[in-house]
Amino acid sequence: MKGLLPRLIKRILGGIVMILVVASFTFFLIHLIPGNPVEAKLMQLETAGVTPLRAQIEVQAMYGFLPHQPLDIQYIHYIWQILHLNLGQSITYAGVSVTHLLLEAMPWTVITVTSGIIVSFVVGILTGVIIAVYRDRGISNALTLFSTFLHGIPQLILALLLAFLFTTIWPIFPFGSPYDAVLTPGFTLPFIGSLIWHAVLPVAAYAISSYGGWALTMKSSVISVLGDDFILASELRGLKPRIRIGYIARNAILPLFTTLTLSIGFMFGGSVFIEEIFDYRGLGYMLITAVGNLDYPLMAGSFLIITVAVIVANIIADFVYTAIDPRIRT
Amino acid sequence: MSTASAAFPGAASPPHHRPSLLTISWRAITRKPSRVIGITIILFFTLMAIFGPTLYPKQLPINPAELYAPPSWAHPLGTDFEGTSVLAEIITGSRYVLSAAALAAVFTIGFGTLAGVVSGYFLGSTDQIIMRVTDFILTIPGFPLLIVLSTVWSFGSPIAMGLVLGLTGWGGLARAVRSQTLSLRERGFIEAARGLGLSNAHIITREILPNISPYIAMNLLLSVTGGIYAEVGLFFLGVIPFQASNWGVMLNLAFGNGALYTPQALLYMLSPMACILLVTFGIVLTLDAFDEILNPRLREG
Repeated sequence: MKGLLPRLIKRILGGIVMILVVASFTFFLIHLIPGNPVEAKLMQLETAGVTPLRAQIEVQAMYGFLPHQPLDIQYIHYIWQILHLNLGQSITYAGVSVTHLLLEAMPWTVITVTSGIIVSFVVGILTGVIIAVYRDRGISNALTLFSTFLHGIPQLILALLLAFLFTTIWPIFPFGSPYDAVLTPGFTLPFIGSLIWHAVLPVAAYAISSYGGWALTMKSSVISVLGDDFILASELRGLKPRIRIGYIARNAILPLFTTLTLSIGFMFGGSVFIEEIFDYRGLGYMLITAVGNLDYPLMAGSFLIITVAVIVANIIADFVYTAIDPRIRT
Repeated sequence: MSTASAAFPGAASPPHHRPSLLTISWRAITRKPSRVIGITIILFFTLMAIFGPTLYPKQLPINPAELYAPPSWAHPLGTDFEGTSVLAEIITGSRYVLSAAALAAVFTIGFGTLAGVVSGYFLGSTDQIIMRVTDFILTIPGFPLLIVLSTVWSFGSPIAMGLVLGLTGWGGLARAVRSQTLSLRERGFIEAARGLGLSNAHIITREILPNISPYIAMNLLLSVTGGIYAEVGLFFLGVIPFQASNWGVMLNLAFGNGALYTPQALLYMLSPMACILLVTFGIVLTLDAFDEILNPRLREG
């Protein structure tokens, strides 16, 4: 276990550097937006009759810097605010801090994306093992074809199709909000039930969009493990097939964790479509609303938080991998 | 093909008659019916993108008397919420979508191959810097990045769209090309080329690139699908202003006009989706033919 802590520290430092780079990117992006939105906001407030001092305080609260300061001072102010978890103030939701908005939005995205990843990972891996172990039977071909087919459907189309099929053609699932509007949010049984019922389609959209990839990667991984010597040895020693499949699966799962890191980014990216279609007020939804309403502080904040979520999820995935595979710990 | 001519392509012409690329392609494609279907789909959509828009006026007519009309001879796919023929919209919209996706694929392949080969061939600090940038690109979720970029970048022309999709999408390919280059550079014929004192540029363009070209060509086709998804997604979300209709705009307007609750709007919403899936299907079916055309080892069998 001795290499674990330095590795963790290295990963976290790398993550922090990456977050700072992304923050710098959003800072310069705001400056590149045509029409100088920061200056425009200041002018707009001043012409609306707000005193110049008051207008400056408001703009400073929104963006974290003032337009007439030198660029380096603006940059330092901006980064300083972000390090204090202050992402500015929203323009559309006047006076509300971006941090507050995003903290409220975060659970919607994180919970649905995580459930989607877990469901697709588990189901995909089971399918992959079945395909590989019974690869000379008809079921294997059928499952391969099915997985390849699902793998080829983009998230956007998948989510639209699911929404269309199961809320309009066969109205099984509710549509349009994360819970029934008549219920008051709280830790009550009907409310939680409604939350889960409404989450079925979005989670299914996340899960189905990445399921095929897992099944196909697991299949080839299992097939390569099947050729290993220890499998032959276990067979010769007469281990039960069920125990052998357990050994095989545990070894074959390992390479999939490198794919997991890429998948996490893909899933968080897909939240943009899925939350727009199923009307979930998550991070992706915030990002689109912000761009649509020219709410640049909220846009920069949402983008930063989505990236942070991906970086944190990657670090966690890396550590699950280290915990499972004893070989890379040394 | 003998090992000698594989080691020095172009150095000595093989003694026996070599079939031309066209003959090889024809043979490879006609070997399996699935490949014929795949290439037919691709050709069909390419022709639609090139010649289709010339069949229709620049501004498609609207007809308030025929909103969401069912399929008929005049409108084989029905009409949309303004009474415009859906088929006409699909055909005129194909040019932007497909040309931007093709350009995106070219840019992705260009950047990815360049970064991957340079990184894997020169190693050292060049490799470290390039791989750091690659990791960065791969970590940032691509789609949100595109949305944010839409505030400063005009996606109006297919080239602008293709360039951005290429710039944000080359990470995965660069990594794969790097690992292929790494294993190639240890092989005997590359060492021989280095021993002969051939320049790095020569080794990269004449020895390494031909060997990874099948992989690159397959990724070129795959990147087209990625490009279509990304641009259609951007138009669907409505973050980029649009001048003319295309498949993504159709999905946006269908969704925005409540097509999800309107069963009559089924065809309007399904048509662009079906086109996207068809193109993907065609590309996937063609992929294995590509492998055979470009990989001499498979051609023998």
